[in-house]
Amino acid sequence: MKRTPDAYLRCALLAIAAVLLQISGLGSGRVLGGYVDLAPLVVAAVAIYAGAVPGAAMGFGTGLLLDLLVGGTVGASSLVLTAVGYGVGRYREVRDPAHGLMAIPVGAAATLGWVVAFAAVSFMLDVGATVSWLVLREMAATTLLGAIIALPVFAICRRVLRPVLLVDPLDLRRRRRAPRDAGPIGLRGLEV
Amino acid sequence: MYDSKVIRRRRAALAIFVVLSLGMLTVYFGESGGGALHSVQRGAQAVFAPLETGVNRALKPVRDLFGWVGDTFDAKGENEQLRDEVTDLRERLGESETARHDVRELRQLVGLHETDGFPQGTEPVGARVIVRSPTVWYSTIGIDKGSGDGIRLDQPVVAAGGLVGKVTDVTGGSAEVTLITDASSAVAAQVMPNGATGIVHPVIGNPKDLLLDYITKGRRVTEGTIVVTSGFATDEVQSIFPRGIPIGRVVRVDPDEFEQFQRVHLAPLADIRGIDYVQVLTERGVTTQAGVPAQ
Repeated sequence: MKRTPDAYLRCALLAIAAVLLQISGLGSGRVLGGYVDLAPLVVAAVAIYAGAVPGAAMGFGTGLLLDLLVGGTVGASSLVLTAVGYGVGRYREVRDPAHGLMAIPVGAAATLGWVVAFAAVSFMLDVGATVSWLVLREMAATTLLGAIIALPVFAICRRVLRPVLLVDPLDLRRRRRAPRDAGPIGLRGLEV
Repeated sequence: MYDSKVIRRRRAALAIFVVLSLGMLTVYFGESGGGALHSVQRGAQAVFAPLETGVNRALKPVRDLFGWVGDTFDAKGENEQLRDEVTDLRERLGESETARHDVRELRQLVGLHETDGFPQGTEPVGARVIVRSPTVWYSTIGIDKGSGDGIRLDQPVVAAGGLVGKVTDVTGGSAEVTLITDASSAVAAQVMPNGATGIVHPVIGNPKDLLLDYITKGRRVTEGTIVVTSGFATDEVQSIFPRGIPIGRVVRVDPDEFEQFQRVHLAPLADIRGIDYVQVLTERGVTTQAGVPAQ
């Protein structure tokens, strides 16, 4: 991702929009015992399109904003979302995923990592908390919902970030689809 | 591949964010409610509050949609849960009503012995009705006490209200009781308080109606009068029913011009079709006072 004010502004807008939507509207709607959690999805989207460091920075900023506005323990969400953003960004850098449906498993993994790690941090900070069946069910349902809405969230994030991206993973995929300089069996150097 | 500088920069960035987060966590826990981070938190909330309000209003339809979807999913499980609760409560209600009915019946049964004129020293044996004749034509019931409990043939059987029949068959652990509404039944009875005597026999097919016969026309019998067992006894024979057990209440008197006797219709005092508990009077007992049973 380009290091320009425009890039920072777009990331900040994404973070603010995700947090506001989360705490003002979507977080209170319960489906199947879980809730739609936009924060890990937006962080994962930024990380998958921009890389590990922007992902970690986005995670830190989004988590900090979430902690400040929700009134929770400042630092807890930012710690977990930093890890989520960094992990997804490293996945992108190492595996270079380009499949059109990659948002679904990435979104699910990011949401699962977020809810599990945040629960672990909460259990460590709060005395007397216990792992109940209700908590596990909420984690599973939230992960499922994250996987379901990952595609549109990633698409919106990509649209917002695209002008400031150095490389778009989906563009790489399109280039692979049309190997003009390859031979009839798709291998270079075997042109007839 | 990335060069070592990029890797170092990346790791350094991660370390900075992690250290910053941990530092904030530490400071947040360490400071008081008026500390720096708490103040920043309050300030951020104040700044974003109008924005949150606007977004909250704008997203109400979306929230309602989520709520509707969630409620729809939850409603199914909730419906099943409520059905189970209803079934459970119905069972409990049934048990409670049964217990209440049993208590009322048993109280009446115990109270029967305290009525005026009821024979004393009858050594009653309580029993539960376990078999009921399903038709109105064959009026017998089975009880869960038998010869092992001291029950013998022809012993009188009472229930809440009054006389219901006599024991006609006995095994070791159970007995059969022929009710006073059975076609074969005939009970020597006496109208209280005027003392007119007659024979009570059933009106076949109507367990709620008994007929007191052989009351001469000269004896005045009025509606509402109680009829009890007469317990007659001579040197040679005696009634199997001791004197003073309530049988029924007079509901109608049919004077017949051509007959010598009146036909007196009685309503049994015991709920013949609905009895659950009975007492078998294993001893004849002694009637100390031929009074009128309590109403």
